[in-house]
Amino acid sequence: MQVIKELLDTFFSDVGVFDAICVTFQMAFCATAISSVLGILLGLLLERADFVGKKVVIRINRTLMGVPPVVVGLIVYMLLMRRGPLGRLNMLFSIRGMILAQVLIITPIICGMTYTTLVSRAPAVRAFAKTMGADRLQTQWLVVRELKKELYFAVVTGFGRSISEVGAVMLVGGNIKGHTRTMTTTISLLKSQGIFTEGLTLGLLLLLMAFVIQSLADFFQKGERSDENY
Amino acid sequence: MRIIDLEKSQGDFQMRTGSFSIEERKIHGIIGGNGCGKTTLCKLIMGILKPDSGRIDYEGLNVREITMTAQRPYFIQGSVYENICYPLKLRRICPDEQKIDGWLARCGLEEKKYQYARSLSSGEQQKISMIRALIFDPKFIMIDETLSNLDPENLELFEQVILEIQKERPVTWLLISHRLAHIYKMCEVLHFMHQGEILASGSKDEILFGSEDERIRRFVANEVIRMEGKHGAFES
Repeated sequence: MQVIKELLDTFFSDVGVFDAICVTFQMAFCATAISSVLGILLGLLLERADFVGKKVVIRINRTLMGVPPVVVGLIVYMLLMRRGPLGRLNMLFSIRGMILAQVLIITPIICGMTYTTLVSRAPAVRAFAKTMGADRLQTQWLVVRELKKELYFAVVTGFGRSISEVGAVMLVGGNIKGHTRTMTTTISLLKSQGIFTEGLTLGLLLLLMAFVIQSLADFFQKGERSDENY
Repeated sequence: MRIIDLEKSQGDFQMRTGSFSIEERKIHGIIGGNGCGKTTLCKLIMGILKPDSGRIDYEGLNVREITMTAQRPYFIQGSVYENICYPLKLRRICPDEQKIDGWLARCGLEEKKYQYARSLSSGEQQKISMIRALIFDPKFIMIDETLSNLDPENLELFEQVILEIQKERPVTWLLISHRLAHIYKMCEVLHFMHQGEILASGSKDEILFGSEDERIRRFVANEVIRMEGKHGAFES
């Protein structure tokens, strides 16, 4: 690990690239994990529950799927700043604060994608489960199992959004070197310093890492389909 | 089981079954034109759909003991074996390998055991769907045109299976089919459905050959003509 750190420090200017990579992945993994649980559960709930104003809730969720991250960043900043309602938690300019902002950005995306998939596919699965004598819990588990590829795609989309996000993490994290600086905020910093080549290289490194993670996830997905013969 | 004035609206379609009984341990058939509500009735019995009004008196039968196979069966992601074992897994019953292998061999599917179920032909899928429905010994089985894609040999095989089950440990069957020859051969009681209503219930001879109702007579005549034109095989 030390070797990689030294190698990166040799190649890049003194911007703390190694720490930025660690922070980026720590933040993206945590935010995606929390958002996946929340988003999938909310999507399931939204599809199953019938209540007054459901259509409005769906519309609001779809709107939030495209919310500008910088707006979320600003809101979270105002919540977490010393005089804000959550100031006591001391989360501003910390990774936890950045994760909170990311969760607010990603959860509606995963929830919306989950809901859309469920609306079209879940009734057939539920009807089948009923004919097999499944109880409520077994039915919900089957729905999730049968739609795992679609849900996986929603999670991957959330992860992609998280890892590439810059506006909210810049505002909430403050881009503090070695502490809250991420790869994207480093790129932004390098650009402002006019060091374009390094910025571009870091961008490619980010893409490469995302590609490796995606490939690993795909590899495990394929393992589950080994009995398919079409 | 007693069906009591079930009503269900779906778009323009309005179902009003009236009241009728499905006697246990008998093979019942439902006949009627396309879109008359046969599948909707099965879904209501299965609890997949909720009726707008009316009710079903299951007379002590647990819904978990009822099963239904569809014309286009659903298969979970996985092999034929995983699909057959699914209802057993739900009930925490250990699969009887010999029984499963026996079923597969009988249907000529022993080599497909570990193949991906969704990759099979529609006829093979219908056979798997039947095995899956029978494997956990339900007490009420609804077959919604599931046997329609089977060739005569396989259709006969399942007809024989149904009759064997009825001999050994009788259960209640509700068969939906457009093959009148199949219905006539298998069913003890017939229900004729027209525009969401059960017009008549009775023995197969009463319904097919003794009905005074013009709609039933026309339906039977049309089906006989259609089948004679297709196969020349309907004899009664």
